[in-house]
Amino acid sequence: MMTFKLAIASVRRRLGAFVGTFLTAFLAVALISGSGLLLYSVLTAGPGGDRFAAVDAVVAADREIELTTTEDKGDKTKTKTKTERLTGAQPLPADLVDTVAATPGVQTAVADAAFPVALDFQGTPVRAPERASVVAHGWVSAPLTPYVLRDGTAPTTGEVAVGAELGLTVGQNVRLTTKTGARDVKISGVVTGGVPGQAAVFVADRQVDELSGLTGPTAVAVVLAAGADRAQVVAAIEKQLESVPVHTGADKVNADLPGAVPDYIGAISIFGFVLGITGFAAVFVLTGTVSLAVRQRLRELALLRTAGATPRQLRRLLGTEIALVTLVATVPALPIGVVVAHLVAGRFRELGAVPAQFTVAINPMVLIAAAVIGLLATLLATSVAARRAVRIAPTQALRETVTAAHGSRVPRIVAAAVLTAGAAAVLGLVPLGGNLGMGMGFVSSALLLCAAAALGPILVGGLTAVVSRLVGLTGVLGRIAGAMTRAESRRVVGVAIPLTLMFAINATMLLNGDILTEVTADQQAARTARATVQVAATNAPGLPLATAEQVAALPSVTGSALTVGTRIVVDEEGKPEDYPAQGLRSSGESALDLGVTAGNLDDLAADSVAVSGPLAERRSWKIGDRPTFWLADGTRTTLTVVAVYEHWRGFGDLVVDAELVAAHDPRGLVGAVYLRGEPDLAGFPMLAAAGPGAVEAENQQAAWELMVAVSLGFTAIAVVNTFAIATGSRRREFAELRLTGATSRQLHRLLDREALITVAVALVLGCLISGIVVSAFSVAQDGQWRLFVDPLWYLGMIAGVGVLGLVAGAVPARVVVRLRSLPQLG
Amino acid sequence: MVLVRDSRVVGTDIVSLTDVTKVYPGQTGVRALDGVTVGFAKGSFTAVMGPSGSGKSTLLHCAAGLDRPTAGRVVLAGQDVGALREPKLTTVRRRHVGFVFQSFNLVDALSVWDNVLLPQRFSGTKPDEAWAREVLTRVGLGGREKSRPGELSGGQQQRVALARALAGRPEVIFGDEPTGALDLSTGREVLALLRRFVDESAATIVMVTHDPAAAAWADRVVFLADGKLAGDLVSPTAELVAARMTELTR
Repeated sequence: MMTFKLAIASVRRRLGAFVGTFLTAFLAVALISGSGLLLYSVLTAGPGGDRFAAVDAVVAADREIELTTTEDKGDKTKTKTKTERLTGAQPLPADLVDTVAATPGVQTAVADAAFPVALDFQGTPVRAPERASVVAHGWVSAPLTPYVLRDGTAPTTGEVAVGAELGLTVGQNVRLTTKTGARDVKISGVVTGGVPGQAAVFVADRQVDELSGLTGPTAVAVVLAAGADRAQVVAAIEKQLESVPVHTGADKVNADLPGAVPDYIGAISIFGFVLGITGFAAVFVLTGTVSLAVRQRLRELALLRTAGATPRQLRRLLGTEIALVTLVATVPALPIGVVVAHLVAGRFRELGAVPAQFTVAINPMVLIAAAVIGLLATLLATSVAARRAVRIAPTQALRETVTAAHGSRVPRIVAAAVLTAGAAAVLGLVPLGGNLGMGMGFVSSALLLCAAAALGPILVGGLTAVVSRLVGLTGVLGRIAGAMTRAESRRVVGVAIPLTLMFAINATMLLNGDILTEVTADQQAARTARATVQVAATNAPGLPLATAEQVAALPSVTGSALTVGTRIVVDEEGKPEDYPAQGLRSSGESALDLGVTAGNLDDLAADSVAVSGPLAERRSWKIGDRPTFWLADGTRTTLTVVAVYEHWRGFGDLVVDAELVAAHDPRGLVGAVYLRGEPDLAGFPMLAAAGPGAVEAENQQAAWELMVAVSLGFTAIAVVNTFAIATGSRRREFAELRLTGATSRQLHRLLDREALITVAVALVLGCLISGIVVSAFSVAQDGQWRLFVDPLWYLGMIAGVGVLGLVAGAVPARVVVRLRSLPQLG
Repeated sequence: MVLVRDSRVVGTDIVSLTDVTKVYPGQTGVRALDGVTVGFAKGSFTAVMGPSGSGKSTLLHCAAGLDRPTAGRVVLAGQDVGALREPKLTTVRRRHVGFVFQSFNLVDALSVWDNVLLPQRFSGTKPDEAWAREVLTRVGLGGREKSRPGELSGGQQQRVALARALAGRPEVIFGDEPTGALDLSTGREVLALLRRFVDESAATIVMVTHDPAAAAWADRVVFLADGKLAGDLVSPTAELVAARMTELTR
């Protein structure tokens, strides 16, 4: 209790000294709670609107691949089940609807077909608001939601009824593109109702098979007879159908077309990354600030020791003080965290990185957890910083300068060695070329950063010795500054490490992003070098396969390749993993160079596959192997590996026959046509020379940059804060220098040179860490060693961080030592 | 033994205060100095004494140009320091004044040698290294140039501070309890050094102390009470000083 009173008194009396800790704790808790809320919100986000709201149950095949592995562990067997979402829907047998309708208790059974379509009006795409997907159904599906006719009539052959959100009017003629072809259709009616995130198009029921290319309905909706028991009927249906599940309640939404339901997978990984980075940076910076604050108070601690305090009591005192400050900081931090979450979510919605209907869910448990993490981090940092400080000898209070005992270097070296080994393992063992590359790049730079911090006094001491002597060449003040930094290398550590963090983390992320962009662009260029013409549709996401083949068959085309984008699921040791893939059809001269390293792409047929180098290596596939795959609609197939290729970036890891993709992917449109020769494209006004798939990459890049901006802002504030704390604690020293005859201006120049040394040390460390990680990352991408893509951009980053550090050092120096002030004695 | 009731300002004074008043801001507005007029002759060793709170340190700070008086005039080596502003004030101090404080005020990061030469480095003049070495030898620290202040005893550190004050050949050395943190015999050594510098190099020393034995090393003792001059004592002895102090504190 005594300690508590003393702690409160101490905090109240020395508010100024706690401002730095308060500010850091505030920022840390705000960021952790903000990103925690975002991650929580995407993890718990609802699946969106239920298009089957008006029915009791829906029969549909699973929209995911489920793999179960059994591991024999001696006496016990362990069963693991992993799933992967599909991007398409498996069609049901056409007669299944009759079986369901015949089940007792079923009043009506409706065969529902859902398939993506694209509409354009005279070549201009008709887009739904907020990037909603446009999905077509037979008119029979309208009552399932229900959709109600507002204007016009139900569609007959050659007609469609469209959702009001598409902004079309009855009587307009538009073009409807599906994978089976493009047709001119007339708007017969406009419907209202429906669900958020989807724009509906209804076609005549007898045209469903022709337009969709489906072999059967994607779902069968069930309305129960009055008085029938749902559980009983569902059980009866499931018994008859055996392997096809029946969805009821909130689960019904899973019977819809996967592409029509909002997808949070990308957002989860982005927000997970945000939480990881901000959490790491926050805890790291907090630790540094707290130890700086404890070191400032060594004299006071020694005085308390003379007054009879035991080291244990001092540790408790420090812990209680810091806990109080953190708790107070939490009060404004949590609301700010909520605001941050909303701002970031809003920006991500604009960028399209999260679905338009994404909202931030405010969960008190997440907020409490953020506060607890902040508190634990500060307490842990205090106990580490206080470990030696509290054992200070009472006699130190009587001395002019107070220094904590230097501990053994062994634990520091051991910790640094373990952390460096961890980083080396991550860089060496994890294939950085794959989709884990960016994340692992961050993890390894974080580990190296921790190693640098653990090694701080040794590493920074050595670097300071070199750098300070260089700065010493600039004159007397430089020499004094050099001597000061060498004598107080621990203070240099405290200030330099946040700057190192700022550079190492942010530069690594930005540089890795740049490298990825460049490697992708290089491979794109290499792939398309042989094509004289590369065209894509401007009216729709792609061309129907038949149209693309007409283009390829134009006279004067000497060679062609057309690609149909899709996703294919691979069995990775019992874990289904989905990969971007392309369906390919080529003829004549080669128009697309995939950089085949083994086998022959000419052997690609309906039952074969070509695999990217990294995937083939990861799965140890050789030419002639016959692995199992699941196509977009969940169809299981076994394909023979006929080729391994290396130009896979921005393309896909698997290449199969175009026909196979067109048959099993609900979209199934040709994204790009590569041609050799000088074809006359006048007959295809909807075609334009274009590169495919750029939009999604831009979304990801923008989200990535926003994330870096958040982390950059936080680390910059941390840097400024640390400089301010370190400078503020040196008033006494400055007074002494003033007494020895230094003018205020000379002190400013002296401190600027000290800042220069600190910033240089930090940048050397930062460049070293990011250099190691970026090099490894770059070599993993395409075997080429790079430190950066654009030297000016790299120098700009170094200069930016350097200037920030120098300003952050100069401003507090000028606040603490006023130009016209008299020496501050006492 | 001569008793002088009014200390007059004499032309040969290196430091002179005329009707100096210092009021510290605050609710109470403490008058630390209240119309003090006093001069310190060139080549003299003066001790300033008085009970706690009598304004000794304020007098020293004002005389040395470390603080600006609220009213009155302070002339230091011919310069009206009250009219000067920073950083000119610092350059005047640097040229004419040396300091020795109770807490030795050495820069821990720098070696003894660098500490001694620091004021001259700040002034940008070429340090007189031969003289600095001579001074260090005289204070008994020849050969310790490379040591850090932290490696020295309290007495040694104060001698480094003294060497630093002397190395710039100042006209006045101000001491604020220079022996306060030292034991009896090391204190005596430091005082003997101060005395020797006054006798041999015609330096001027103004020293605040509360120790009658220390004051007895001076040529003259100036007494302060409640911010006002309370007389002075020429050729003091420890007993006489102690007796005057007892009077003042009664």
